[in-house]
Amino acid sequence: MTLQTIDNATCTFCGCVCDDIQLHHDQMRIHKAKSACVLGTAWFLNHTAERHYPDALIDGREATVDEAVEMAAALLHEADMPLVYGMSNTTCEAQKECVALADQLGGLLDSHTSL
Amino acid sequence: MLRITGGKIYDPASGINGEIRTLYIEDGRFVASGEGGRTIDAAGMIVFPGGVDVHTHVAGGAINFARAMTPEDHRRTQAFIRSQTRRSGLGGMAPTTFATGYLYAGMGFTTVNEAAVPVLSARHTHEELSDIPIVDKSSLVLMANNELLLDQLDAGEYERARSILAWYIRAAGSWGIKAVNPGGVAAWKWGGNAGQLTETVDGFRHVTPGTIVASLARMCHDLNLPHPLHLHCNNLGAPGNVSTTLETLRHLEGHRAHIAHSQYHAYGGDDWDTMRSATSDLADWFNTHDNLTTDAGAVLFGDTVTITADGPWQHLLYRLTGRKWGNLDVENETGCGIVPYTYRPGHLVNAVQWAAGLELLLLIEDPWKVFLSTDHPNGGCFWRYPEILELLMCADYRQECLRQLPDRIRSRILLPEIDREYSLYDVATAMSAGPAQALGLPRKGSLAVGCDADVVIYEEDDNIRRMFSHPRYVIKSGEIVIEDGDIRETPDGREFLVQPHCDPDTETFIRPLFEDCYTMSFDNYPVEPHRIPRAEIHHRPASP
Amino acid sequence: MGGKVTCTLGEVKNRADFIVYWGGNPAECHPRHFTKYTLMQKSRWLPRGRKDRTMVLVDIRETKSAKAADIFLQVRPGCDFELLSILRAMVRDEPVDPDAVAETGIAYDVLEDLVRRMKSCRFGCMFFGMGLSMTRGKHMNSAALLTLAAELNAFTKFVAMPMRGHGNVTGADVIMRWQTGYPFGITFNRGYPRYNPGEFSTVDVLVRGDCDAAFIIGADPGATMPQPAIDHLARIPTIVLDPHVTHTSRLARVHITTAPAGIAAPGTAYRMDEIPLPLKPALKSPYPTDEEIVRRIREAVATRPFWMPEDSPQMTTEQL
Repeated sequence: MTLQTIDNATCTFCGCVCDDIQLHHDQMRIHKAKSACVLGTAWFLNHTAERHYPDALIDGREATVDEAVEMAAALLHEADMPLVYGMSNTTCEAQKECVALADQLGGLLDSHTSL
Repeated sequence: MLRITGGKIYDPASGINGEIRTLYIEDGRFVASGEGGRTIDAAGMIVFPGGVDVHTHVAGGAINFARAMTPEDHRRTQAFIRSQTRRSGLGGMAPTTFATGYLYAGMGFTTVNEAAVPVLSARHTHEELSDIPIVDKSSLVLMANNELLLDQLDAGEYERARSILAWYIRAAGSWGIKAVNPGGVAAWKWGGNAGQLTETVDGFRHVTPGTIVASLARMCHDLNLPHPLHLHCNNLGAPGNVSTTLETLRHLEGHRAHIAHSQYHAYGGDDWDTMRSATSDLADWFNTHDNLTTDAGAVLFGDTVTITADGPWQHLLYRLTGRKWGNLDVENETGCGIVPYTYRPGHLVNAVQWAAGLELLLLIEDPWKVFLSTDHPNGGCFWRYPEILELLMCADYRQECLRQLPDRIRSRILLPEIDREYSLYDVATAMSAGPAQALGLPRKGSLAVGCDADVVIYEEDDNIRRMFSHPRYVIKSGEIVIEDGDIRETPDGREFLVQPHCDPDTETFIRPLFEDCYTMSFDNYPVEPHRIPRAEIHHRPASP
Repeated sequence: MGGKVTCTLGEVKNRADFIVYWGGNPAECHPRHFTKYTLMQKSRWLPRGRKDRTMVLVDIRETKSAKAADIFLQVRPGCDFELLSILRAMVRDEPVDPDAVAETGIAYDVLEDLVRRMKSCRFGCMFFGMGLSMTRGKHMNSAALLTLAAELNAFTKFVAMPMRGHGNVTGADVIMRWQTGYPFGITFNRGYPRYNPGEFSTVDVLVRGDCDAAFIIGADPGATMPQPAIDHLARIPTIVLDPHVTHTSRLARVHITTAPAGIAAPGTAYRMDEIPLPLKPALKSPYPTDEEIVRRIREAVATRPFWMPEDSPQMTTEQL
């Protein structure tokens, strides 16, 4: 089977954020990450499009995304001082949503930087 | 349909000076007539086109660096409190994006031009611009120290350089170009500067600041850009720099240009002890040349943070003040320096700067040539503009302020002898109609039929500062956004982009040069169109 | 002094003939830093590439990065701030106490040589890692190094840059600054942003037991934080968004599996020098993106009553 390629893909594993990676992939996984370093290669090859995990868990039991979103909203809304934390391994677009969420909740907002 | 009735209309673009007329608004624009809908009774009120800021720094890596460096100011400044639908924000010296929109709109401004964007981080600038609510936006890309372009000029390849310029404007999603300290920032990459217009720039064989200025001004004309070269001259802030500024104006060879924050370029004297205002020399030139516009870059006393692409100047300012210093050199393109600063009335240099900004606004006779600005946040924050309007409109108040300054200032400035007072018509020109025309922004700065329905309505008030600080209504694209001091709506503004003609082989030519000296992939460099929401793109064929 | 005198990585690639790595191990943690940005690249000003550059590594132990260095300086653990302060004095030709120099574990003549090299290079750059910024002295160490770099500009061109890790942590920092004014450690509990690391930073908040719910995204504090902080996360309702079921997921009330950024989720990430780069996902994930899930949670929260009273003011000029 021939693989599809993506040129100049961006690796977000470390702060170098190299954007010259050539990815060779099929529907399920990336088979080769040309120009990537040992850390970047592992990062690209270890993630797949397989369904390894349940969509969502509530109290350890499998749940739908709809149920989990509703539960998350209820818990965060009920809290007096909710914390929004992390934001390292995610996109800027998601980070903006996180800042908006903390603003809406009147909560705390923090990233890895504070460690 | 929205009607505004009974107000005194000031629309310099249409030559309307305080006449009582009715404005009709539909689908975001002014129309000739209409029935139904809401009517605003503006009897006893003053109606202006929404303000247009020709030169400000509100989005991107530089102002965001300044935000990082001034947490102590965020803590003491005004805070916008979150509502169910509206984001929170902080004002102050370097406001957050949401607060920037609230503060500009709250003062009646509906269009702002971000004056300094590196192409390398243009993606970031656009992300911030789209987070500034209410106002419409344009931006200028930094070009006078771009090494790929300077290399072509150095080799005498004008057409090639012009194609590169066009390509960069398109890649950045920009409205025009800004030149900052031509050649000086490139030299700063080795710790140097460029002060003489005819001296070769460090690292090049032939190119001088003078040839950069002349070439860029001509390119803006050739490419038929809506805004001419936006020029921050060499030797900003230095005593005696008016000679550099005048020489720069001669190098334009009659081409159009907008001279940014001219206050910082209008000094006489030989050193800090003898520095004086030389605004009359500069104003004379403006009064006798019609190819130019400028903005004042006025200074107000108090705390601010200075930010500019002029890296070498900021290093000097850091050494003079010993305060915090931020510097960010951008590969192959430009620099950026940040230094917090306090303008003090008792400080002779600061007092000269304060007077010089006002002098330029008063001595340049045509308000279509000189516009209100503080080069935000450099001379003061944009939300302090009403203080400048009070100084321009009330000669008595100016005299009162002058009395607070040290006596020895009087021999160094012209302000005590100037008795001109701005009329409301002058203010509407310098704050809206003039900058809109200079930026080449379509449908801005006018209340005429077909224009964007951006309106600010003030209650007539003897207290000028209060009047301009607190409009009764602000209307953006036909929507009431500010009413009685309250933010009613926070619609998203548009962004204006220009796409000049670019020779098709330019990309093939640039690619290997780019790959030699940049660190990101060439294909990832241009800002993808989908990243600029609500873009209004203007295609420009080359000038014949 | 405060602030930061820095540049984008291309300036280092094109110009830096003198490079210092302090408290970092790029050979193992940022493997392409040497080859793509700093040591190995040739440029018009450094045509011989590596041969035209000098690299100094300062660290408490000889890591793999030392192999790439021209000069390795082994500083005694906990003495970085002192060493930086001594260098600042020596740069100004001020006398230094020989006993203080001896304490750092590095000989005076070695430092003299280092200072001479720093002042005589054409373009110097110091990169600093967590071995400097997360050890004794912490942000004071970073400030001392940044100040040294700024002060060297009296003699030559000199810049400094933190070696940031953790993927897109720089993006979070940049976005928080433009939306809130502050880079991290923020509270909105009065309806507008306030900043106080130590009070609003996560480990402190968790160890004190201040927060009563936690939303964790793109991080696994359950694997990395001190135990008292983890214990609190287990006590309160915690919600996790992650491509994997993590340590934190296992102690959370809610876990939602999301598409990994840059592999199956599109968007943007910022490089350590704050340059934004587009992400180009290769795979189509069976899971939704973080962006989509956080937006849906916000929309679900918006259907519930807003926490502040209806008649709250729009603005305050007196922050509490």
